Amino acid sequence: MNPSLANRLTIGFAIAFALLAGLAVIGVGRFFQERQDFENATARSYQREATALVRLAQGVHPAAARERISAERRQRRQLRANVSDDTRDTAILVGAGLVAGLIGAVLLFGGLITSMRRPLEELVDASRRLADGDLDTRVKVGGPAETAALGAAFNEMAGELQREAGRRDQLDRMKDEFVLTASHELRSPLTSVQGFAELLMLERERLSPKQVETVEIILDNTRHLVRLLNDLLDLARSDAGRLAIKPVPTEVGPLIEDAARTIRAQTEAGGQTLSTEIEPGLPRVRVEPDRIRQVLVNLLTNAHEYCPADASILVRAVRVGDEVEIAVIDDGPGIPAEQLEHIFDRFTRGDAGLTQRVGGTGLGLAISKSLVELHGGTIAADSTPGEGATFRVRLPAPTGSSSQSPSPTAAESG
Amino acid sequence: MARVLVADDSETILLLMRTRLEMAGHEVQTAVDGQEVMDTLHRSGGEAPDVLLLDAMMPRKSGIDALRELRAEGIETPVLIVSAHQEAEDATTPADLEVSGYVPKPIDFEALFITIEKLTAE
Repeated sequence: MNPSLANRLTIGFAIAFALLAGLAVIGVGRFFQERQDFENATARSYQREATALVRLAQGVHPAAARERISAERRQRRQLRANVSDDTRDTAILVGAGLVAGLIGAVLLFGGLITSMRRPLEELVDASRRLADGDLDTRVKVGGPAETAALGAAFNEMAGELQREAGRRDQLDRMKDEFVLTASHELRSPLTSVQGFAELLMLERERLSPKQVETVEIILDNTRHLVRLLNDLLDLARSDAGRLAIKPVPTEVGPLIEDAARTIRAQTEAGGQTLSTEIEPGLPRVRVEPDRIRQVLVNLLTNAHEYCPADASILVRAVRVGDEVEIAVIDDGPGIPAEQLEHIFDRFTRGDAGLTQRVGGTGLGLAISKSLVELHGGTIAADSTPGEGATFRVRLPAPTGSSSQSPSPTAAESG
Repeated sequence: MARVLVADDSETILLLMRTRLEMAGHEVQTAVDGQEVMDTLHRSGGEAPDVLLLDAMMPRKSGIDALRELRAEGIETPVLIVSAHQEAEDATTPADLEVSGYVPKPIDFEALFITIEKLTAE
């Protein structure tokens, strides 16, 4: 373990302080010593001058006495001058001590900051990588003890995150495995139920009308269960990343006509109008046709099931930038805002009053969203209650795949 | 009309298959696992089935294992794999084993009859 930052600071300050204190003590000591010397010398000088003055007064060697007096006065002037020189020297000494201490402190801090900067920068980088989902991110544990401890704590946290993500992935896999296995296991008994109900229907002429109706109910519900299982499987595959698509350049027009054909018998029977409107010269989209047809059939089935008998349903395809937008527009009852918000969530279904006659599984739009996003596209819904609903699917149309057969298509049936 | 050998570990499914296939005029033999399929084929001699309907997942010996074994023995009878998987293709059938088709559960019998007719007409 490297010495900690606090320890280094303490040692640094102690050294700087000792240096300063030492210099100050030396300086002050020297000052007092010199002051003492000066006072002693001055006192001795006054003593000698006094002796000379006494001699002058007594008239003993008056010339020599006078000379002594002026010599002593000169010497005292000299002493005073020396003392102020020494005071200045002492001040310089103390000042130098201060400057040396400051420089030491600056160097110390500079070194510390430099030694901390790299580990801190590395930590910032690592945090960003971790936040971006790279759970393998670890930092080198180094530098002063504080950054080293921070680095170790960071690594510990990243490790915990990774273990947590691993546990979550494992749970997810278990869940996906469970759904796949469950839907597989449910299929065998369903095969029997549906198969024997169909067998009964093959002999319907020997059944009473009541019995025929009963068998029809069994068959209806069996088909609903099968649809639910298929949808659940799709979602589980999608969650497990096993819902693979094989996109190919695809003409939008035939895809839409194909999907519309699937539902047309039902809309006609229900007295609804189904029309398509495809912009001429649309580029081809890169999709797996079966999967996008599944999405369109799902949107059309929803429109058909949630709209009243006289409703109009329109499928319109237009180019929007690098994308093709396929909109399924109806003039039905629309979707209230609070339902629109969760419309692509699993097991979200329209108005409870309608669900009695609507045979959906509540998974269709969730699957559609998964499928469209798997193609790199987007799906959105908007609605004005009372005026209808619009579902827009946008699919990427790579440049250079412009349709070579721009056949303006417009089909209508009522 | 064809001779069809059906293998499934569920007696109920076997009863359903036998009933529907016989109603459509086919001659039906049944087996409860892959081993019984192999035994039946070995015993059959000149009365060999025209089509095999093998469930992909059966205990002891699966339809896939039986398929591998019978192809290794040079038996070229057309095989339809019955699977509870929605898309049996991404189930367990290795690419090198020749399969005439997949039959997903629940079984669409009308489609199955058409497939059997096509296979036996060839």
